Amino acid sequence: MATASAPAAQDADAHPVALAGIRTCFGATCIHDGLDLSVRHGEILALVGASGSGKSVLLREMILLQRPTAGTVWLFGEDAAGLGESDANRLRRRTGIMFQQGALFNALSVVENIAVPLKEQTDLSDAVIRDIAMLKLLLVGLPADAAGKLPSQLSGGMHKRAALARALAMDPDLLVLDEPGTGLDPVGADALDELIRDLHGALGLTVVMTTHDVSTLWRVCDRVAFLAQRRIWAVGTMEQLSDSDDPVLADYFRGPRSQAARGLAWNRG
Amino acid sequence: MGPAEESVTVDGSGLTGLDTAGALLIARLLEAFRAEGRAARLVGLDQRRAALLELVSERLGSLSTGPSDETRRAPGGLERLGRLAVAGAKEGFAILSFAGEAAVAFLRTLAHPTRLRWRQALLVVELDGVRAMPVLGMLSFLLGVVIAYQSGVQLRLYGGNLYVVDLVTITVLRELGPLMTAIVVAGRSGSAYTAEIGTMQVTEEIDALRSIGVAPQDLLVLPKILGLAVALPLLTVFANLAAVAGGMVMSALMLDLSPQTFLNRIPEAVSLNSLMTGLAKTPVFAAVIAAVGCYQGFQVRGGADSVGRNTTTSVVRAIVLVIVIDAGFSVIYSWLGI
Repeated sequence: MATASAPAAQDADAHPVALAGIRTCFGATCIHDGLDLSVRHGEILALVGASGSGKSVLLREMILLQRPTAGTVWLFGEDAAGLGESDANRLRRRTGIMFQQGALFNALSVVENIAVPLKEQTDLSDAVIRDIAMLKLLLVGLPADAAGKLPSQLSGGMHKRAALARALAMDPDLLVLDEPGTGLDPVGADALDELIRDLHGALGLTVVMTTHDVSTLWRVCDRVAFLAQRRIWAVGTMEQLSDSDDPVLADYFRGPRSQAARGLAWNRG
Repeated sequence: MGPAEESVTVDGSGLTGLDTAGALLIARLLEAFRAEGRAARLVGLDQRRAALLELVSERLGSLSTGPSDETRRAPGGLERLGRLAVAGAKEGFAILSFAGEAAVAFLRTLAHPTRLRWRQALLVVELDGVRAMPVLGMLSFLLGVVIAYQSGVQLRLYGGNLYVVDLVTITVLRELGPLMTAIVVAGRSGSAYTAEIGTMQVTEEIDALRSIGVAPQDLLVLPKILGLAVALPLLTVFANLAAVAGGMVMSALMLDLSPQTFLNRIPEAVSLNSLMTGLAKTPVFAAVIAAVGCYQGFQVRGGADSVGRNTTTSVVRAIVLVIVIDAGFSVIYSWLGI
């Protein structure tokens, strides 16, 4: 559970995303300072930390939606700082993101939402695009009759699934999930966890997510990165982090909620 | 046909990559062969790709006939007329209930004047009144310049240079000053009211207010109507001044009418009556602009596109209503002989 070291740019296959010396400031407040992290190919990595520790901002920096104040972001082995807008777009095309609020386009139906990246980025015929969009819809477990609905007609869980389907539309190499389980009931959150695990297995995705849900951490994630004091305080498996004697980690991972979730995870084991 | 022709083998060993879209196309291909009654086989996929293909075919199973497009028949003329009538009736009802709620809120405030959100109303005076002064001043000044120029060209032919003062002051004070101000404010503030309330509607803030026991009308509508009813007459006076100044500058440049002469002529050209008839319309304009803006905001349903649509509707309706009401005032004034 050593903190990640600055990676070399060339090991792109092993590390789709790597961050080194990241510093992010908003005015006088800095939320990251000297932050290093590398994401391994094919893993599910969770970013955890207290509210306001800059998890979502870090996700946005990974997929080039926001530039850090200082430091280097390598996405698929390329240094983001030196990229022009068209190169950045080429890399973004290999990522899919599910935003915290879903960010579905309200004026479009669910299937049209999923088809947007395909229409913009590929030369496929409309019929094939519709077919692919329907497949993604079914892949995330939505019923076929949800296709024609507008986002405002969906329940919270369906909304999340539709957003996930849009994130998966282009078969991204890197899937980024910002708080996937928020706003779902426990059954819905469990189902979404399983879905992420299944899709990860079937599609060979690399997944980076932020979450507050300890049971997601136990059941879904390969590794967990803990943000504290403006950097990645520790990275490791859930067992490693929660068995650590570090008082900062113990505070977070040995709370009653975490312990209960661990018990459940073992039982399902 | 022999049995050899009826069976098809698809060889996937040459694939270098396979994503879900590719898997989908292969699954569709196999499906098509099987639909023709041929035995289709797929060989040469590694384990991971086979698993992906299986996942895709399994999910597609529940979609055997392909996506069903809703077939919508175009509505006939009678149906369209009926729908329009129903929509019109619904809208009329909504406007009536909005006006009713606003009136009740107003009466409630009359009974307890201390409960009026004075701060909100003063904020409206600042944001929609004071901050509108630069753009309104500039537009009105130019308006005065244009009127003086156009009338000056004609008046010079008859040697009636001095009468440019009459033309500029009467048209500005009675008609164009109030109208110009109302149109600028409708575009600037009416749209803002719709966007503000519409966004609050989308994010359920309106419902949050109701749940806390605050009538949205008290907090969002009344202060705007009252604030604008104060701000618009003041703005109109300012716009009148700017337009007359514009006319004065143009007269000095084009008609050799010194500012001194121009100012001396004003009391003879125009009476206090003209100013008051112009200003009397402005509180009505203010109420209409604020009410239409707020009403359209409350009518927002769904998402961002609805906010945009209603904002457009709000500005268009407000300007149309302002001009219609202005014409109505003209008719009334002519009956009364003012």
